[in-house]
Amino acid sequence: MEVIVFVKRVPSFEDEEIRIKEDGRTIDLSGAPFKINDWDSYALEEAVRLVEQLGGAATAISIGSEEDDEVLRRAIAMGARHGYLIRERDLLEPIKRAMLARSLIEKEGLRFDLILTGVQAEDDQFASFGGILAGLLRIPSASMVVAIEEVKEGSLVVRREIEGGVQERIRISLPCLLSIQTGINQPRYVSIMGIRRASKVERKVIEGRDLISGYEERVRLERFSYPEKREGAKILKGDLHQICSELLRILREKGVL
Amino acid sequence: MSYNLCFAEVREGRFEERNLDVLGLSRLLGDQTFLLLPKTCGGVQGAERVIEVDLKEEDFLSPLCLVTVIEEVKKRHGDPTFLLFPHSSFGMDAAPYISGYFGLPLLTDLSSQSEGLFLKSFFSEKVFGGFRFICPPPFVLTVRSGAFKRFAKEEGTPEREEMKVEIGEEKRGFLGYVIEESQDVDIAKADFLLSIGRGVGTLEEIPRYELLAQKLKATLCASRPVIDKMWLPKSRQVGISGKTVKPKVYLAMGISGSFQHIQGMKDAECIIAVNRDPNAPIFQYSHFGVLEDMHRVRDILLELLGGE
Repeated sequence: MEVIVFVKRVPSFEDEEIRIKEDGRTIDLSGAPFKINDWDSYALEEAVRLVEQLGGAATAISIGSEEDDEVLRRAIAMGARHGYLIRERDLLEPIKRAMLARSLIEKEGLRFDLILTGVQAEDDQFASFGGILAGLLRIPSASMVVAIEEVKEGSLVVRREIEGGVQERIRISLPCLLSIQTGINQPRYVSIMGIRRASKVERKVIEGRDLISGYEERVRLERFSYPEKREGAKILKGDLHQICSELLRILREKGVL
Repeated sequence: MSYNLCFAEVREGRFEERNLDVLGLSRLLGDQTFLLLPKTCGGVQGAERVIEVDLKEEDFLSPLCLVTVIEEVKKRHGDPTFLLFPHSSFGMDAAPYISGYFGLPLLTDLSSQSEGLFLKSFFSEKVFGGFRFICPPPFVLTVRSGAFKRFAKEEGTPEREEMKVEIGEEKRGFLGYVIEESQDVDIAKADFLLSIGRGVGTLEEIPRYELLAQKLKATLCASRPVIDKMWLPKSRQVGISGKTVKPKVYLAMGISGSFQHIQGMKDAECIIAVNRDPNAPIFQYSHFGVLEDMHRVRDILLELLGGE
């Protein structure tokens, strides 16, 4: 099975404070560590497992700057055979990313039975790249995929997560695109040595402007803002012992302890 | 005549409440609201026109069938200004596909709108991006659940229209719903939940939280990252894709509070959050907060409870 998997490198603000720059239109990324988008590491693991079981190869594609090569090295270390970087700076619009991806697949003549993406990226949370790409390519797609249950000749049976702990089982024809939800598998550990070895495998770099030209922006980011403050929590003060005693007192007062 | 086209999510005959957010935003945006829904679901208000499509509910929800439906609507009424979906599993599946298929610009997970400026979350609600369309319509939107419900119209009798569409051998077909049976406790029935999140860090820390739950006589549950790593069973997941809970007390430790999680616990009578990040969104929804490392709080609570 030939599998294409898209991976994105994202800044992480899990433990860092996030700050909007003075222009109001950019986020200060100077202090943020970067990593592979969480959803994409699950998609990547799923791609690698499929080719390990069924033969064929996985090809990883990233769209971004030179630094994003880091996630391609990781993808190769995890088991992808080829890597492509589409170099493009101005990238907020999901439809533009999807158009670049379609153009790369067509111009490079990349063969595929299956395309995998993560459900969404941690930074912009658009949750739309995969579906748009499938629509552009006129292939069936499914998002929120939590299991690939069966691989048959020409089709798959997959489960999609819906709300309230329910899933739906669907049949989907190949070639198709699946957007993968976290928790579908346990992504394998990759060592620094593995990533170093992977850097010996060539990753092809393609300029975005050679893929699509004359793209006109359709949506514009006007400004970033912080969330509206609500009343919020009463923060318990004191040394930690006092705070914890107060916490236990509240639990008793609420009648649960 | 200009109109907005809203796509209803109907599952097992139930008109999902999040459809009201879609109708609410459509109404704010002006134009007449046309609501599309499968024929099996009746008695809906909040739109000027209801188009009942002669499709099974599952087929209606498939992005591939919706392409055929949209083509028929366009034939009858021309292009809509906005095509609006809920930002649910259905909308996240269908709206991007429709955007790509018809080449239409898309904004997703919208939580606020003012004079054509749409806000959406970045980095799990830590900031919001304000976007504007700068091309001619149609535009595709997905709408965050709970954000616009209050703007939905409650009365009025919509005009009804029936629509038959031919779908062939589709490349995607519904096989059935799956609900995983579990022998585990039902966290939705617990009065006191101790909930742990990403901050727990490693599997090795879990047993000490199990001990703390036992000492507090609380039921242990978790947010998605803990469940994804399989450190606790799926039956313990709180959030949109897990369980919605309303305990007397919800003690959240190491949970930053993504929208998906907050939706599953915001109606608890008393919410106490322990997190070392003062900007964690969960503090906005909590009654009491402790700004401290969750493990340290756990250890001192255990000490005070004589749990060692």
